[in-house]
Amino acid sequence: MAMKKIWAIFQKDLLIELRTKDTLNSMLFFGIVVLVVFNFALESLRDSVHSAVPGVLWVAFAFSGTLGLHRMFASEKENSCLQGLLMIPADRGGIYLGKMLAATVFMLIAEAIIFVLSLVFFNLTVWKEIPYLVLICLIGTLGFTAVGTLLSAIAVNTKLREVLLPLILFPVILPVLVNAVEATAILLNKSDYGALKLPLTVMSVFTIVFVTVSYLLFEYVLED
Amino acid sequence: MDKMHYLFAAFLAIWIILSIYLFSLHSREKKIRKEIERLKSSRQSAVGNRQ
Amino acid sequence: MSERSQSRLDTVLGVVLAFGMVAALYMAFIEAPREKTMGDLQRIFYFHVPIAIAGMTSFAVNFAASLMVLIRKNRWWDHLALAAAEIGVVFFVIVLVTGSIWAKPEWLVWWTWSPRLTASLILCLLYAAYLLIRNYIEDPERRALVCAVFGIIAFLDAPLVWFSIRWWRDIHPSPMLETGGLSPSMRPAFYVCLAVFQVFLVYMLRRRFFLESMRDELETFERQIG
Repeated sequence: MAMKKIWAIFQKDLLIELRTKDTLNSMLFFGIVVLVVFNFALESLRDSVHSAVPGVLWVAFAFSGTLGLHRMFASEKENSCLQGLLMIPADRGGIYLGKMLAATVFMLIAEAIIFVLSLVFFNLTVWKEIPYLVLICLIGTLGFTAVGTLLSAIAVNTKLREVLLPLILFPVILPVLVNAVEATAILLNKSDYGALKLPLTVMSVFTIVFVTVSYLLFEYVLED
Repeated sequence: MDKMHYLFAAFLAIWIILSIYLFSLHSREKKIRKEIERLKSSRQSAVGNRQ
Repeated sequence: MSERSQSRLDTVLGVVLAFGMVAALYMAFIEAPREKTMGDLQRIFYFHVPIAIAGMTSFAVNFAASLMVLIRKNRWWDHLALAAAEIGVVFFVIVLVTGSIWAKPEWLVWWTWSPRLTASLILCLLYAAYLLIRNYIEDPERRALVCAVFGIIAFLDAPLVWFSIRWWRDIHPSPMLETGGLSPSMRPAFYVCLAVFQVFLVYMLRRRFFLESMRDELETFERQIG
């Protein structure tokens, strides 16, 4: 059954990661570095730095996510596992889904920790908003990994590798970034929650469209 | 009229960018043609030598 | 199409364009009325917007060609896809530069994050990414497939990008609003320029396509020998 194979790939990536925690550590570290750097970069804002928090948060998420996405395929390529992966009698789309889900889990874990740290760094109090924040992060991350997994598989097989991924990823996920940042801003500024409907809808549409497209097109992207 | 200068600059920009691109197409074409000719003639001479 | 009818088509196109460009310039500078608020500077609009539309048409051609690459696995479509992407990027660079030159005297800044300029920038970056990927994959078969996938993704992404940017600008309104209005007296000039640049697009696509098939022929040759 296809679900079992997707689950198997998902589990494999999770287990490998739990053993070494390489990817998670580097993602976390990178996210934290972004937070700290922005603190210095935005020093001139000082009192009004709160208005920059949504943007800073999602930049940290995006950069650390890109790192995670890259490692997803780079480690396979380094250890020549891609050939083995291709020999699994799963349809290629299943490989995509398994990897995408694993990447989502990694990103969500990193995001949670980065977020908690940002609460400390920027002196925020958020209690009521947490369920909505979780929703925004979930949909935003899914959108990110939906297209990111496919693009990472493309980038890893080019001459430029990791350098290429941010270049081709960021223009594509711009809708996710814009909507996620705005939704987070609406939430953190404690304004009208009804306004969240539009960005969440756009992000969901993005996710559904690109999961479908990536699932269908993934086979063309893997190297034989 | 300063605005007319900008109008002129904009049209000039279109002209320049298109010219650069068309010129680049032209020179790439020439280079490839030359290379194909070169390879064809070296293949001819190789065949000729073998005969 | 035979070689002779190809070159005949090129001649026809060339002649049409020669007249067309003159017509476009006449319409934009002489026939079109002087705009109320911006004065003569607004005339750049008659080239700026048709070139943007031609660029978008080019990207649509890239989308169709990318789909065909995946369906037919024929390199002919791949050549067309590349030509369309590259020409689209060139046109959008022109849109960005002219938009910027238009903005400077109007709003005293070289750049505004207005919806149209921002979306043009992102679109340009998207297809520049396409060209970048193209450069760094060596095997022609694989390159065609991968770029087709990215071409499809980029085109599907474009409306989402446009929508998101528009909405973002609605939330953070800027004092610099773009005038998009097309009063009836401006229409003839606009439509003439629109048509001329569509023909120009066809001409450019043909030239770039031809270059690409030659380059492919050379590459095949080199592989046979090497």
